Amino acid sequence: MSKQLRKPEGGRRFGAIAAVLAVAAATVTGCSSGGSGQQQDDSAPLEVWIRQDAGSPAAESAEALTKAFSEESGIEAKLVAVGVTDFETKLQQRTAQKDLPDIVINDTGQLGNLVTQGLVREVDREGVAGSGDLADRAWEAAQGYDGKYYGVPFNSQAFALLIRKDWRDEVGADVPTSWDELTELAVKFTDDDPDGNGKDDTAGMVVPGTTTRGYLTWWFSTMLWSEGGGFVKKTGAGYAPAISDDASVKAVEKLQAMFCDSKVVQPGATTADSSTTHTVFESGKGGIYLTGPYMLPRFDGSLGKDKYEVVAAPPGAGGEAALAEGENVYMMAGSANEQGQQRFAEFAASPAGQKIGLGVDNGGIIVRLPVNTKVDGAAEREDPRWDVFQKVYDTAGRNAPALPNWSNVRQISSEGLNGVVSDCSRDVGRAMDELAGEIDAELEKQGAKG
Amino acid sequence: MTVTEARTSRGPATKGAPRTAPPVRTRLRRAATPWLFLAPALLLFLYFKFIPMAEAVRMSFQEVRPFLGNTYVGGANYSEIAGKSDFGAAVWHTVVLAVATTAGSIVLGMVLALLLEGQTRSLWFIRSAIFLPVVTAMAVVAEVWRVMYYPAEGGALNSVLSVIGLGPSEFLNSPDSSLASIAFVGVWRGAPYDMMIFLAGLAGVDRVLYEASAVDGASRFRRIWHVTLPGLRPVFAILLTLAAIRGLRIFTEVFLLTNGGPDGSTEVLLTLTYKLGLERNELGVAAAGTVLLFAILLVLTVASRVRRRGVR
Repeated sequence: MSKQLRKPEGGRRFGAIAAVLAVAAATVTGCSSGGSGQQQDDSAPLEVWIRQDAGSPAAESAEALTKAFSEESGIEAKLVAVGVTDFETKLQQRTAQKDLPDIVINDTGQLGNLVTQGLVREVDREGVAGSGDLADRAWEAAQGYDGKYYGVPFNSQAFALLIRKDWRDEVGADVPTSWDELTELAVKFTDDDPDGNGKDDTAGMVVPGTTTRGYLTWWFSTMLWSEGGGFVKKTGAGYAPAISDDASVKAVEKLQAMFCDSKVVQPGATTADSSTTHTVFESGKGGIYLTGPYMLPRFDGSLGKDKYEVVAAPPGAGGEAALAEGENVYMMAGSANEQGQQRFAEFAASPAGQKIGLGVDNGGIIVRLPVNTKVDGAAEREDPRWDVFQKVYDTAGRNAPALPNWSNVRQISSEGLNGVVSDCSRDVGRAMDELAGEIDAELEKQGAKG
Repeated sequence: MTVTEARTSRGPATKGAPRTAPPVRTRLRRAATPWLFLAPALLLFLYFKFIPMAEAVRMSFQEVRPFLGNTYVGGANYSEIAGKSDFGAAVWHTVVLAVATTAGSIVLGMVLALLLEGQTRSLWFIRSAIFLPVVTAMAVVAEVWRVMYYPAEGGALNSVLSVIGLGPSEFLNSPDSSLASIAFVGVWRGAPYDMMIFLAGLAGVDRVLYEASAVDGASRFRRIWHVTLPGLRPVFAILLTLAAIRGLRIFTEVFLLTNGGPDGSTEVLLTLTYKLGLERNELGVAAAGTVLLFAILLVLTVASRVRRRGVR
């Protein structure tokens, strides 16, 4: 190689490095610039996220829903089934990248969280086509702390008891009409060997008692509210903790007794999440399970339709109450096709969308109880057990309080409750005073104190 | 390739003026050569380590809301995380787990290594079998142990306990035994790894010393105490360093076995950070937690370095 040729080569190499570094620097600065004021394009494809496991029948139904939407509107829509357990984590990652999906179908309980972070757009209730046909209670679950709407209802559900009918016949008990009777039944299921295998391996009550995603609070809400207690109560313009009120403390004492005195819960309940408890119930290790209607197809298959019955949770000192929740269609911020988002939400809530979501053909239920009053879910399904859930929802259903961020309060209270059921020697009154203090601090932080 | 080019290119440039210092460009090129080789690695580090680290430090001073814009909150995140009773407990649990797992793994690993030292073919097989837990995915290990720890009479470990008249134990499910149960899994998984490193170390101990001490009438125990252990000193240094880092970063086992429960009795630093950041969306506070962990590790590392230098 000659001298003339070599020299510029070295220079070129430096040039190349400088270029790489410049590009790197540009990318770094590019990363930190915001993404607001998105240019609108009415035909831009939509990315739709749903909290279902990929490949499950529910994901198939969601796929059918997006397909039907695309055919009707001409807007391309791509479904992404994001796993049940790490949905929030995945969404958080996309938030960090400032590139959100256009539509997210997720729990009503996440609404406050999404609003506080500014991830969702406000919804004009009157501006949603067919909004009058949607149930008021479902709209309530789409309402933020400020009274504005931040989602379009898509699915609702209430919790009811699944009781092993064959076991109940075996021990000769009636359907329980109070929480005390329910506990008595659970004691019989635990002690009387209802499955007749000669082993002491059955539990009366199946409880997801972990703090993960606030499962224990989720499960306990129905019991707490029926007994007249609450996590928070409305005072003036905001909320105050109610978990240390007398009625609440009594309910928590009953909960602790289930774990510590009568010992009717399944072994390992304090760290069990719902995927564990589903298995406990369907494998015949537990007799009473408070859960949502979406479990029916699975238990029909694994346990058998004739083995269990669906019963509304009994009334307590505070009358009848059952946790109601559901899912909303959230229109995420920063979308290139806001009009398309709205059309998707409208389609999902319309009778046509709701019927696809019922999953009558494939068992993939993404609409448990239809939010559209023009659709009769139980009739479509030809299964009266769904009517029990529908009635519970209509008469006793209660949405989680519309705090700026309910999921944080749910998390905090599940930790407090987990403490008293894990440590049987702990005084419930004192523990609930402490928990009330923590909830109070959280309310203060959220600016929701009355 | 680049090496040879760089060398040959130096030749003609220096030929013209052999006694004076090389021209500026050549000197620059010489200085730049090592950086060129480092550039790919440095770029990767920059993107995947240093920028995220700097970002975490920045986030720890902010209330993080990616879509609404972050707001500077000063040291509020730090006072919040340090003031949390959970945080103190998490630090304590992390340290207890790290110490218990490290000590257990080293002792058991040492015993295993002494038992399985040698060249026999069958030993090779047993060593591989014992090493299996290390190569098995942690998720699988945790799931298997969850099943074995089933807290009622029918559980695998509880059936064993009942044979010797004990139990049933609650294992992971009681605040009293949960941490110990996790540490046991850690030892079960860590000991074979330590064993392998000990075996390598044992191979380096001079056989003549064993023979000499045997001739001098030293008992088996004395031979281990006075010959083997001193010979393994560098191995201990490596193992302790690795174990300290591994121990303080413990996450997967805890996350899968108990996720911090019951009653927060197994909450460690990283599960707490995970919960704050990704379940409660308080990324700023979570970032403050990780920065604190980083600071603790930094202080510990520097302290141990200074101490070692002092000893020398």
